[in-house]
Amino acid sequence: MKKLTIIFICFGLLTFFIPQTWSKDHPGKTYIEAKGYEGPKTCEVCHQGKAKEFLNTVHWKHASPVTNVENIDHKEEYGMKNRIYTMCNGNDIVNNLKEIPKNPQTGKVKFTGCNTCHPGNHLSDVGSSGPAAEEAIDCLLCHSQAYDFRKRVPYKDEKGQVVMGQDRSTNAALAVGRPTVKNCMVCHEAAGGGVLIKRGFAYNKETDVHAAKGMVCVDCHQAQNHRIPTGFDPNNWANDGIRLVCADCHTEKPHKDGDLNAHTARIACQTCHIPKTGGAYAKDFTAWEQGNDKFYEPATLKKEVNEITPVYRWYNLTVANTPHFIGPKGNREDGKSKIYPFKVFQGKAFYNKKTGELMAMDFAPPMATGDARAGVAQAARTLGIKDFELEAGWQTIYFGSNHLVTKTDALSCYNCHAPNGVLNFRELGYNEKEIEKLTSPELYFEKILKKQREEW
Amino acid sequence: MNSPLKLTVLITLIIFLYAFQAAGAELKIIGIITKLELAPDGKSAIAVLKDNNGKEVTITVVDELTLDKFKDHRIVEGDEIRCKYEVIEGKNISRYFRKTAGC
Repeated sequence: MKKLTIIFICFGLLTFFIPQTWSKDHPGKTYIEAKGYEGPKTCEVCHQGKAKEFLNTVHWKHASPVTNVENIDHKEEYGMKNRIYTMCNGNDIVNNLKEIPKNPQTGKVKFTGCNTCHPGNHLSDVGSSGPAAEEAIDCLLCHSQAYDFRKRVPYKDEKGQVVMGQDRSTNAALAVGRPTVKNCMVCHEAAGGGVLIKRGFAYNKETDVHAAKGMVCVDCHQAQNHRIPTGFDPNNWANDGIRLVCADCHTEKPHKDGDLNAHTARIACQTCHIPKTGGAYAKDFTAWEQGNDKFYEPATLKKEVNEITPVYRWYNLTVANTPHFIGPKGNREDGKSKIYPFKVFQGKAFYNKKTGELMAMDFAPPMATGDARAGVAQAARTLGIKDFELEAGWQTIYFGSNHLVTKTDALSCYNCHAPNGVLNFRELGYNEKEIEKLTSPELYFEKILKKQREEW
Repeated sequence: MNSPLKLTVLITLIIFLYAFQAAGAELKIIGIITKLELAPDGKSAIAVLKDNNGKEVTITVVDELTLDKFKDHRIVEGDEIRCKYEVIEGKNISRYFRKTAGC
Protein backbone atom coordinates (compact mmCIF):
# COMPACT_ATOMS: atom_id res chain seq x y z
CA MET A 1 0.00 0.00 0.00
CA LYS A 2 2.90 2.30 0.90
CA LYS A 3 4.60 1.51 -2.45
CA LEU A 4 1.39 2.18 -4.29
CA THR A 5 1.05 5.57 -2.58
CA ILE A 6 4.61 6.54 -3.53
CA ILE A 7 4.04 5.49 -7.15
CA PHE A 8 0.80 7.44 -7.21
CA ILE A 9 2.50 10.59 -5.85
CA CYS A 10 5.37 10.28 -8.35
CA PHE A 11 2.95 9.84 -11.21
CA GLY A 12 0.98 12.87 -10.05
CA LEU A 13 4.13 15.01 -9.85
CA LEU A 14 5.26 13.92 -13.30
CA THR A 15 1.93 14.67 -14.93
CA PHE A 16 1.96 18.09 -13.29
CA PHE A 17 5.50 19.06 -14.21
CA ILE A 18 6.15 17.43 -17.58
CA PRO A 19 3.80 19.57 -19.63
CA GLN A 20 5.11 22.77 -18.04
CA THR A 21 8.83 22.13 -18.07
CA TRP A 22 9.57 19.68 -20.83
CA SER A 23 6.98 20.27 -23.49
CA LYS A 24 7.81 23.03 -25.94
CA ASP A 25 4.29 23.16 -27.29
CA HIS A 26 1.88 25.75 -26.03
CA PRO A 27 -1.04 23.86 -24.45
CA GLY A 28 -3.44 25.76 -26.69
CA LYS A 29 -1.75 24.61 -29.89
CA THR A 30 -4.45 22.11 -30.89
CA TYR A 31 -7.20 24.64 -30.21
CA ILE A 32 -5.49 27.36 -32.26
CA GLU A 33 -4.75 24.96 -35.11
CA ALA A 34 -8.39 23.93 -35.20
CA LYS A 35 -10.05 27.30 -34.68
CA GLY A 36 -7.45 29.76 -35.94
CA TYR A 37 -6.47 32.92 -34.09
CA GLU A 38 -8.99 35.67 -33.52
CA GLY A 39 -7.04 38.04 -31.30
CA PRO A 40 -7.38 38.36 -27.53
CA LYS A 41 -10.62 36.41 -27.42
CA THR A 42 -8.66 33.32 -28.50
CA CYS A 43 -6.15 33.92 -25.68
CA GLU A 44 -9.00 34.48 -23.24
CA VAL A 45 -10.32 30.96 -23.80
CA CYS A 46 -7.63 29.85 -21.36
CA HIS A 47 -6.19 33.12 -19.99
CA GLN A 48 -9.42 34.58 -18.73
CA GLY A 49 -9.40 38.18 -17.59
CA LYS A 50 -5.94 38.90 -18.98
CA ALA A 51 -7.10 41.39 -21.61
CA LYS A 52 -8.92 43.53 -19.06
CA GLU A 53 -5.96 43.21 -16.73
CA PHE A 54 -3.56 44.44 -19.41
CA LEU A 55 -5.58 47.62 -19.98
CA ASN A 56 -4.55 48.81 -16.54
CA THR A 57 -0.81 48.59 -17.10
CA VAL A 58 1.79 51.15 -18.17
CA HIS A 59 2.24 49.35 -21.47
CA TRP A 60 -1.37 50.18 -22.35
CA LYS A 61 -1.88 53.46 -20.50
CA HIS A 62 1.60 54.93 -21.09
CA ALA A 63 1.11 56.61 -17.73
CA SER A 64 0.77 55.88 -14.04
CA PRO A 65 0.71 57.67 -10.70
CA VAL A 66 4.22 58.99 -10.03
CA THR A 67 5.17 59.49 -6.41
CA ASN A 68 8.93 60.15 -6.47
CA VAL A 69 9.08 63.21 -8.75
CA GLU A 70 8.72 66.78 -7.50
CA ASN A 71 6.67 69.58 -9.06
CA ILE A 72 3.94 67.37 -10.46
CA ASP A 73 0.40 66.67 -9.29
CA HIS A 74 0.62 63.38 -7.43
CA LYS A 75 -3.07 62.73 -8.04
CA GLU A 76 -2.54 62.70 -11.81
CA GLU A 77 -0.90 60.07 -14.01
CA TYR A 78 2.24 60.75 -16.02
CA GLY A 79 4.14 58.98 -18.74
CA MET A 80 4.80 59.18 -22.46
CA LYS A 81 1.09 59.80 -22.85
CA ASN A 82 1.45 63.36 -21.59
CA ARG A 83 5.01 64.19 -20.48
CA ILE A 84 7.01 66.97 -22.11
CA TYR A 85 10.79 66.69 -21.99
CA THR A 86 13.57 67.17 -24.47
CA MET A 87 14.55 63.62 -25.39
CA CYS A 88 11.22 63.39 -27.18
CA ASN A 89 9.57 66.83 -26.95
CA GLY A 90 6.32 65.28 -28.09
CA ASN A 91 3.98 62.80 -26.44
CA ASP A 92 1.06 60.58 -27.34
CA ILE A 93 -1.36 63.49 -27.16
CA VAL A 94 0.35 66.13 -29.30
CA ASN A 95 2.32 63.74 -31.46
CA ASN A 96 -0.39 61.17 -32.00
CA LEU A 97 0.22 58.63 -34.79
CA LYS A 98 -0.85 60.26 -38.03
CA GLU A 99 0.01 60.85 -41.65
CA ILE A 100 2.30 63.87 -41.86
CA PRO A 101 1.85 66.60 -44.51
CA LYS A 102 3.41 66.05 -47.93
CA ASN A 103 7.12 66.73 -48.18
CA PRO A 104 7.33 69.73 -50.56
CA GLN A 105 10.29 68.24 -52.45
CA THR A 106 9.10 64.68 -52.94
CA GLY A 107 5.35 64.93 -52.43
CA LYS A 108 5.65 61.89 -50.20
CA VAL A 109 3.93 61.37 -46.85
CA LYS A 110 4.54 58.96 -44.04
CA PHE A 111 2.98 57.89 -40.78
CA THR A 112 4.61 58.82 -37.53
CA GLY A 113 3.76 59.38 -33.89
CA CYS A 114 4.93 58.64 -30.36
CA ASN A 115 2.26 56.00 -29.89
CA THR A 116 3.47 53.94 -32.86
CA CYS A 117 4.66 51.35 -30.34
CA HIS A 118 1.40 51.21 -28.42
CA PRO A 119 0.21 47.58 -28.43
CA GLY A 120 -3.28 48.39 -29.66
CA ASN A 121 -4.67 49.12 -33.10
CA HIS A 122 -4.70 52.93 -32.67
CA LEU A 123 -8.50 53.02 -32.93
CA SER A 124 -8.35 51.75 -29.37
CA ASP A 125 -5.45 53.86 -28.31
CA VAL A 126 -3.38 54.77 -25.26
CA GLY A 127 -5.42 54.39 -22.08
CA SER A 128 -8.61 53.28 -23.80
CA SER A 129 -10.90 50.82 -22.03
CA GLY A 130 -13.92 48.62 -22.57
CA PRO A 131 -14.61 45.62 -24.82
CA ALA A 132 -13.27 47.29 -28.00
CA ALA A 133 -9.98 48.07 -26.27
CA GLU A 134 -9.71 44.53 -24.94
CA GLU A 135 -10.28 43.19 -28.43
CA ALA A 136 -7.67 45.58 -29.89
CA ILE A 137 -4.74 44.34 -27.80
CA ASP A 138 -1.88 42.99 -29.89
CA CYS A 139 -1.00 40.06 -27.59
CA LEU A 140 1.26 38.43 -30.16
CA LEU A 141 3.47 41.50 -30.52
CA CYS A 142 4.96 40.67 -27.13
CA HIS A 143 4.28 36.94 -26.98
CA SER A 144 4.91 35.48 -30.43
CA GLN A 145 8.24 34.35 -31.80
CA ALA A 146 6.91 34.28 -35.35
CA TYR A 147 5.34 37.74 -35.60
CA ASP A 148 5.47 39.11 -39.13
CA PHE A 149 6.33 42.78 -38.74
CA ARG A 150 5.26 43.57 -42.29
CA LYS A 151 1.75 43.47 -40.88
CA ARG A 152 2.43 45.89 -38.05
CA VAL A 153 2.35 49.04 -40.11
CA PRO A 154 -0.10 51.94 -39.98
CA TYR A 155 -2.64 52.46 -42.73
CA LYS A 156 -5.83 54.39 -43.37
CA ASP A 157 -9.10 52.47 -43.26
CA GLU A 158 -12.14 53.14 -45.42
CA LYS A 159 -13.22 55.91 -43.02
CA GLY A 160 -9.85 57.62 -43.28
CA GLN A 161 -8.91 56.63 -39.73
CA VAL A 162 -5.30 55.68 -39.06
CA VAL A 163 -5.15 52.04 -37.99
CA MET A 164 -2.10 50.14 -36.76
CA GLY A 165 -1.98 46.73 -38.41
CA GLN A 166 -1.38 43.54 -36.46
CA ASP A 167 -0.24 40.02 -37.26
CA ARG A 168 -3.12 37.85 -36.13
CA SER A 169 -2.13 34.87 -38.22
CA THR A 170 -2.43 31.33 -36.94
CA ASN A 171 1.26 30.91 -37.65
CA ALA A 172 2.16 33.73 -35.27
CA ALA A 173 -0.29 32.49 -32.65
CA LEU A 174 1.20 29.00 -32.70
CA ALA A 175 4.56 30.48 -31.66
CA VAL A 176 3.42 32.09 -28.41
CA GLY A 177 5.34 32.05 -25.19
CA ARG A 178 7.20 34.22 -22.70
CA PRO A 179 8.50 37.42 -24.27
CA THR A 180 12.05 37.12 -25.56
CA VAL A 181 14.61 39.92 -25.82
CA LYS A 182 13.41 40.58 -29.35
CA ASN A 183 9.80 41.08 -28.26
CA CYS A 184 10.87 43.80 -25.83
CA MET A 185 13.54 45.44 -27.94
CA VAL A 186 11.31 45.83 -30.98
CA CYS A 187 9.91 48.88 -29.25
CA HIS A 188 12.42 49.66 -26.53
CA GLU A 189 15.46 49.92 -28.81
CA ALA A 190 13.75 52.30 -31.23
CA ALA A 191 12.72 54.97 -28.74
CA GLY A 192 13.97 58.54 -28.95
CA GLY A 193 14.32 58.76 -32.71
CA GLY A 194 16.29 55.72 -33.79
CA VAL A 195 17.99 52.50 -32.84
CA LEU A 196 19.65 52.66 -29.39
CA ILE A 197 19.24 56.45 -29.23
CA LYS A 198 17.33 57.04 -26.03
CA ARG A 199 18.82 54.65 -23.51
CA GLY A 200 21.86 53.73 -25.55
CA PHE A 201 22.19 50.13 -24.50
CA ALA A 202 22.11 46.94 -26.49
CA TYR A 203 21.11 43.81 -24.65
CA ASN A 204 23.17 40.99 -26.06
CA LYS A 205 25.87 38.59 -24.97
CA GLU A 206 28.64 41.01 -25.94
CA THR A 207 27.26 43.92 -23.95
CA ASP A 208 25.59 42.53 -20.83
CA VAL A 209 26.63 39.79 -18.46
CA HIS A 210 23.01 38.76 -17.92
CA ALA A 211 22.46 38.29 -21.64
CA ALA A 212 25.73 36.34 -21.84
CA LYS A 213 24.23 33.93 -19.31
CA GLY A 214 21.18 33.48 -21.52
CA MET A 215 18.86 35.63 -19.47
CA VAL A 216 16.07 37.54 -21.18
CA CYS A 217 14.56 40.89 -20.17
CA VAL A 218 11.67 39.35 -18.26
CA ASP A 219 14.00 37.26 -16.12
CA CYS A 220 14.76 40.46 -14.21
CA HIS A 221 11.66 42.42 -15.19
CA GLN A 222 9.41 39.58 -14.06
CA ALA A 223 5.84 40.54 -14.79
CA GLN A 224 3.14 40.16 -12.20
CA ASN A 225 -0.22 40.06 -13.92
CA HIS A 226 1.23 42.01 -16.84
CA ARG A 227 2.67 44.65 -14.54
CA ILE A 228 6.36 44.98 -15.29
CA PRO A 229 8.84 45.89 -12.54
CA THR A 230 11.09 48.83 -13.33
CA GLY A 231 14.05 50.52 -11.70
CA PHE A 232 14.32 54.12 -10.61
CA ASP A 233 15.61 55.90 -13.72
CA PRO A 234 15.03 59.61 -12.92
CA ASN A 235 13.61 60.10 -16.38
CA ASN A 236 11.42 57.01 -16.52
CA TRP A 237 8.47 58.07 -14.45
CA ALA A 238 5.60 55.75 -15.33
CA ASN A 239 5.70 52.47 -13.47
CA ASP A 240 3.40 49.59 -12.69
CA GLY A 241 3.92 50.00 -8.96
CA ILE A 242 6.55 47.27 -8.78
CA ARG A 243 10.19 48.24 -8.46
CA LEU A 244 13.29 46.32 -9.30
CA VAL A 245 16.80 46.61 -7.89
CA CYS A 246 19.93 44.49 -8.36
CA ALA A 247 19.85 43.36 -4.73
CA ASP A 248 16.54 41.56 -5.33
CA CYS A 249 18.64 38.79 -6.85
CA HIS A 250 22.19 39.59 -5.77
CA THR A 251 21.49 40.64 -2.14
CA GLU A 252 23.18 43.60 -0.45
CA LYS A 253 26.34 41.54 0.08
CA PRO A 254 27.01 40.00 -3.33
CA HIS A 255 30.83 39.82 -3.19
CA LYS A 256 33.14 37.31 -1.60
CA ASP A 257 35.33 40.25 -0.62
CA GLY A 258 34.10 42.00 2.52
CA ASP A 259 35.67 45.30 1.51
CA LEU A 260 33.62 45.35 -1.66
CA ASN A 261 30.47 44.46 0.27
CA ALA A 262 31.18 47.40 2.56
CA HIS A 263 30.74 49.66 -0.48
CA THR A 264 27.16 48.63 -1.17
CA ALA A 265 25.73 50.83 1.58
CA ARG A 266 26.76 54.00 -0.29
CA ILE A 267 27.67 52.87 -3.79
CA ALA A 268 25.01 51.48 -6.13
CA CYS A 269 25.89 48.24 -7.93
CA GLN A 270 25.59 50.08 -11.25
CA THR A 271 28.40 52.47 -10.35
CA CYS A 272 31.08 49.78 -10.60
CA HIS A 273 29.35 47.30 -12.84
CA ILE A 274 28.11 49.69 -15.56
CA PRO A 275 31.20 51.77 -16.34
CA LYS A 276 29.94 53.06 -19.70
CA THR A 277 26.74 54.07 -21.40
CA GLY A 278 25.73 55.23 -24.88
CA GLY A 279 23.12 56.73 -27.18
CA ALA A 280 22.08 60.34 -27.67
CA TYR A 281 23.72 62.93 -25.45
CA ALA A 282 22.36 66.09 -27.06
CA LYS A 283 19.48 66.95 -29.35
CA ASP A 284 18.15 70.14 -30.90
CA PHE A 285 14.43 70.26 -31.51
CA THR A 286 14.65 73.84 -32.73
CA ALA A 287 16.76 72.83 -35.76
CA TRP A 288 15.65 69.84 -37.80
CA GLU A 289 18.00 68.24 -40.31
CA GLN A 290 16.94 66.96 -43.68
CA GLY A 291 17.69 63.29 -44.27
CA ASN A 292 18.33 61.35 -47.45
CA ASP A 293 14.62 60.71 -47.81
CA LYS A 294 14.04 64.52 -47.67
CA PHE A 295 12.05 64.26 -44.44
CA TYR A 296 13.42 66.06 -41.38
CA GLU A 297 14.58 64.83 -37.97
CA PRO A 298 15.81 66.80 -34.96
CA ALA A 299 19.59 67.25 -35.05
CA THR A 300 21.05 64.66 -32.67
CA LEU A 301 24.51 64.02 -31.23
CA LYS A 302 24.99 60.38 -30.34
CA LYS A 303 27.51 57.73 -29.49
CA GLU A 304 27.52 53.97 -29.75
CA VAL A 305 26.89 51.57 -26.91
CA ASN A 306 29.64 51.81 -24.24
CA GLU A 307 31.11 54.98 -25.74
CA ILE A 308 29.89 57.48 -23.16
CA THR A 309 31.40 57.87 -19.72
CA PRO A 310 28.67 58.36 -17.13
CA VAL A 311 28.56 61.03 -14.46
CA TYR A 312 28.15 60.04 -10.83
CA ARG A 313 25.73 61.64 -8.39
CA TRP A 314 24.12 60.90 -5.05
CA TYR A 315 20.59 59.65 -5.61
CA ASN A 316 17.93 58.94 -3.00
CA LEU A 317 15.49 57.69 -5.66
CA THR A 318 13.53 60.95 -5.70
CA VAL A 319 13.68 63.26 -8.69
CA ALA A 320 14.20 66.98 -9.15
CA ASN A 321 11.95 68.23 -11.92
CA THR A 322 12.05 71.77 -13.29
CA PRO A 323 11.61 73.05 -16.87
CA HIS A 324 15.38 73.03 -17.35
CA PHE A 325 16.44 70.04 -15.23
CA ILE A 326 15.29 66.49 -14.56
CA GLY A 327 17.64 64.52 -12.38
CA PRO A 328 18.53 62.80 -9.16
CA LYS A 329 17.98 64.32 -5.73
CA GLY A 330 20.06 63.33 -2.80
CA ASN A 331 23.30 64.00 -1.06
CA ARG A 332 25.93 62.47 1.12
CA GLU A 333 24.24 63.49 4.34
CA ASP A 334 20.63 62.36 3.88
CA GLY A 335 21.28 58.74 4.86
CA LYS A 336 19.17 57.48 1.94
CA SER A 337 21.34 58.24 -1.06
CA LYS A 338 23.84 56.10 -2.90
CA ILE A 339 26.21 57.14 -5.67
CA TYR A 340 24.78 56.11 -9.04
CA PRO A 341 25.98 56.49 -12.64
CA PHE A 342 23.92 58.53 -15.10
CA LYS A 343 23.95 59.44 -18.74
CA VAL A 344 23.62 63.20 -18.96
CA PHE A 345 21.49 64.26 -21.89
CA GLN A 346 20.90 67.85 -22.95
CA GLY A 347 18.07 68.83 -25.23
CA LYS A 348 17.26 72.16 -26.83
CA ALA A 349 13.63 73.02 -27.42
CA PHE A 350 11.21 75.90 -27.29
CA TYR A 351 10.01 77.35 -24.01
CA ASN A 352 7.11 79.70 -23.42
CA LYS A 353 8.84 82.96 -22.51
CA LYS A 354 5.69 84.08 -20.69
CA THR A 355 5.55 81.14 -18.28
CA GLY A 356 9.00 79.59 -18.45
CA GLU A 357 7.40 76.23 -19.25
CA LEU A 358 8.77 73.82 -21.86
CA MET A 359 6.50 73.62 -24.90
CA ALA A 360 5.57 70.33 -26.58
CA MET A 361 5.90 69.70 -30.27
CA ASP A 362 3.78 67.91 -32.88
CA PHE A 363 6.35 66.33 -35.18
CA ALA A 364 4.17 66.24 -38.27
CA PRO A 365 4.90 69.81 -39.51
CA PRO A 366 8.68 69.82 -38.89
CA MET A 367 9.08 66.29 -40.20
CA ALA A 368 7.57 67.35 -43.53
CA THR A 369 9.07 70.83 -43.86
CA GLY A 370 11.67 71.34 -41.11
CA ASP A 371 9.56 74.10 -39.53
CA ALA A 372 9.97 73.43 -35.81
CA ARG A 373 7.94 76.47 -34.74
CA ALA A 374 4.97 75.18 -36.75
CA GLY A 375 5.23 71.94 -34.77
CA VAL A 376 5.06 73.82 -31.47
CA ALA A 377 2.15 75.92 -32.68
CA GLN A 378 0.27 72.78 -33.72
CA ALA A 379 0.89 71.15 -30.33
CA ALA A 380 -0.23 74.33 -28.57
CA ARG A 381 -3.51 74.22 -30.52
CA THR A 382 -4.01 70.60 -29.47
CA LEU A 383 -3.40 71.48 -25.82
CA GLY A 384 -5.43 74.71 -25.93
CA ILE A 385 -2.45 76.94 -25.16
CA LYS A 386 -3.11 80.32 -26.75
CA ASP A 387 -0.82 82.73 -24.93
CA PHE A 388 2.79 81.91 -25.69
CA GLU A 389 5.99 83.42 -26.98
CA LEU A 390 8.70 81.01 -28.08
CA GLU A 391 12.22 81.12 -26.76
CA ALA A 392 14.78 78.37 -27.34
CA GLY A 393 16.50 76.90 -24.31
CA TRP A 394 18.28 73.83 -23.01
CA GLN A 395 17.12 71.17 -20.60
CA THR A 396 19.46 68.75 -18.82
CA ILE A 397 18.20 65.25 -18.11
CA TYR A 398 19.89 62.51 -16.12
CA PHE A 399 19.10 59.08 -17.51
CA GLY A 400 19.58 56.11 -15.24
CA SER A 401 22.31 53.72 -16.33
CA ASN A 402 20.97 50.27 -15.50
CA HIS A 403 22.00 48.00 -18.37
CA LEU A 404 25.33 47.11 -20.05
CA VAL A 405 26.23 45.24 -16.86
CA THR A 406 29.74 43.80 -16.75
CA LYS A 407 31.63 41.66 -14.30
CA THR A 408 35.00 41.49 -16.04
CA ASP A 409 35.22 45.18 -16.89
CA ALA A 410 33.77 46.47 -13.63
CA LEU A 411 35.53 49.41 -12.03
CA SER A 412 38.26 48.41 -9.62
CA CYS A 413 39.76 50.17 -6.57
CA TYR A 414 42.18 52.32 -8.54
CA ASN A 415 39.49 53.50 -10.99
CA CYS A 416 37.85 55.53 -8.24
CA HIS A 417 40.44 55.84 -5.49
CA ALA A 418 42.90 57.90 -7.50
CA PRO A 419 43.46 61.66 -7.85
CA ASN A 420 42.13 61.51 -11.41
CA GLY A 421 39.61 58.74 -10.77
CA VAL A 422 36.14 58.45 -12.22
CA LEU A 423 34.47 59.79 -9.06
CA ASN A 424 34.74 63.50 -8.46
CA PHE A 425 34.81 63.35 -4.67
CA ARG A 426 34.77 67.13 -4.37
CA GLU A 427 31.50 67.40 -6.31
CA LEU A 428 30.15 64.51 -4.29
CA GLY A 429 30.56 66.52 -1.10
CA TYR A 430 33.84 65.35 0.41
CA ASN A 431 36.29 67.78 2.00
CA GLU A 432 39.98 68.05 1.12
CA LYS A 433 41.16 65.89 3.99
CA GLU A 434 38.69 63.14 3.08
CA ILE A 435 39.64 63.38 -0.58
CA GLU A 436 43.29 62.95 0.27
CA LYS A 437 42.44 59.77 2.12
CA LEU A 438 39.99 58.52 -0.51
CA THR A 439 42.48 58.96 -3.35
CA SER A 440 45.43 57.30 -1.65
CA PRO A 441 46.67 53.83 -2.70
CA GLU A 442 46.97 53.19 1.02
CA LEU A 443 43.33 52.07 0.81
CA TYR A 444 43.95 49.16 -1.51
CA PHE A 445 47.69 48.71 -1.97
CA GLU A 446 48.17 45.53 0.06
CA LYS A 447 45.01 43.92 -1.26
CA ILE A 448 45.82 44.54 -4.93
CA LEU A 449 49.45 43.57 -4.39
CA LYS A 450 48.36 40.23 -2.96
CA LYS A 451 45.97 39.71 -5.88
CA GLN A 452 48.71 40.63 -8.33
CA ARG A 453 51.06 38.09 -6.78
CA GLU A 454 48.38 35.41 -6.98
CA GLU A 455 47.73 36.15 -10.64
CA TRP A 456 51.43 35.75 -11.51
CA MET B 1 57.10 65.18 -63.17
CA ASN B 2 58.89 62.85 -65.53
CA SER B 3 57.20 59.66 -66.68
CA PRO B 4 59.02 57.09 -64.45
CA LEU B 5 58.23 59.24 -61.41
CA LYS B 6 54.57 59.56 -62.42
CA LEU B 7 54.40 55.81 -62.87
CA THR B 8 55.97 55.21 -59.47
CA VAL B 9 53.51 57.55 -57.79
CA LEU B 10 50.59 55.91 -59.61
CA ILE B 11 51.69 52.39 -58.66
CA THR B 12 52.23 53.48 -55.05
CA LEU B 13 48.75 54.99 -54.97
CA ILE B 14 47.16 51.85 -56.42
CA ILE B 15 49.02 49.62 -53.96
CA PHE B 16 48.06 51.94 -51.10
CA LEU B 17 44.37 51.97 -52.08
CA TYR B 18 44.34 48.19 -52.55
CA ALA B 19 46.06 47.64 -49.22
CA PHE B 20 43.66 50.08 -47.58
CA GLN B 21 40.65 48.13 -48.84
CA ALA B 22 42.22 44.72 -48.25
CA ALA B 23 42.96 45.73 -44.68
CA GLY B 24 39.23 46.15 -44.18
CA ALA B 25 38.94 49.91 -43.96
CA GLU B 26 35.54 50.93 -42.71
CA LEU B 27 33.23 52.45 -45.32
CA LYS B 28 29.83 54.03 -44.80
CA ILE B 29 26.58 54.45 -46.67
CA ILE B 30 23.11 55.72 -45.86
CA GLY B 31 20.66 54.32 -48.34
CA ILE B 32 17.34 52.67 -49.08
CA ILE B 33 17.19 48.88 -49.32
CA THR B 34 16.29 48.15 -52.93
CA LYS B 35 16.84 44.40 -52.72
CA LEU B 36 17.05 42.01 -49.81
CA GLU B 37 17.83 38.32 -50.18
CA LEU B 38 18.25 35.93 -47.32
CA ALA B 39 20.42 32.88 -47.97
CA PRO B 40 18.49 29.58 -47.88
CA ASP B 41 20.37 28.51 -44.73
CA GLY B 42 19.49 31.82 -43.05
CA LYS B 43 23.10 32.45 -42.07
CA SER B 44 23.74 35.39 -44.37
CA ALA B 45 21.89 37.88 -46.51
CA ILE B 46 22.55 40.27 -49.34
CA ALA B 47 21.13 43.78 -49.13
CA VAL B 48 21.47 46.32 -51.91
CA LEU B 49 21.54 49.89 -50.59
CA LYS B 50 20.96 52.85 -52.86
CA ASP B 51 22.06 56.25 -51.61
CA ASN B 52 20.76 59.69 -52.51
CA ASN B 53 23.13 60.01 -55.47
CA GLY B 54 21.93 56.76 -56.99
CA LYS B 55 25.05 54.85 -55.97
CA GLU B 56 24.27 51.20 -55.20
CA VAL B 57 26.30 49.07 -52.82
CA THR B 58 25.71 45.38 -52.26
CA ILE B 59 26.19 44.54 -48.60
CA THR B 60 26.67 41.08 -47.13
CA VAL B 61 25.09 40.73 -43.70
CA VAL B 62 26.19 37.94 -41.39
CA ASP B 63 25.45 39.14 -37.87
CA GLU B 64 22.65 37.24 -36.15
CA LEU B 65 20.77 40.23 -34.76
CA THR B 66 20.35 41.84 -38.16
CA LEU B 67 19.57 38.54 -39.87
CA ASP B 68 16.83 37.99 -37.32
CA LYS B 69 15.39 41.39 -38.24
CA PHE B 70 15.31 40.32 -41.88
CA LYS B 71 13.63 37.03 -41.02
CA ASP B 72 10.70 38.56 -39.15
CA HIS B 73 10.61 41.57 -41.46
CA ARG B 74 11.49 44.22 -38.89
CA ILE B 75 13.80 45.39 -41.68
CA VAL B 76 12.35 45.23 -45.17
CA GLU B 77 12.94 46.58 -48.66
CA GLY B 78 12.23 50.32 -48.70
CA ASP B 79 13.70 50.95 -45.25
CA GLU B 80 16.45 53.54 -45.00
CA ILE B 81 19.62 52.10 -43.46
CA ARG B 82 22.75 53.53 -41.93
CA CYS B 83 25.48 51.00 -42.73
CA LYS B 84 29.19 50.62 -42.01
CA TYR B 85 31.02 47.90 -43.88
CA GLU B 86 34.43 46.51 -44.64
CA VAL B 87 35.66 45.11 -47.93
CA ILE B 88 36.94 41.62 -47.27
CA GLU B 89 37.92 39.38 -50.17
CA GLY B 90 35.84 41.48 -52.53
CA LYS B 91 32.71 41.41 -50.38
CA ASN B 92 31.21 44.35 -48.52
CA ILE B 93 30.75 42.85 -45.08
CA SER B 94 28.35 44.74 -42.84
CA ARG B 95 29.63 45.83 -39.43
CA TYR B 96 26.70 48.10 -38.59
CA PHE B 97 23.29 47.91 -40.18
CA ARG B 98 20.54 49.94 -38.60
CA LYS B 99 17.31 51.58 -39.67
CA THR B 100 17.57 55.34 -39.51
CA ALA B 101 13.98 55.64 -38.33
CA GLY B 102 12.71 55.46 -34.77
CA CYS B 103 9.87 56.91 -32.80
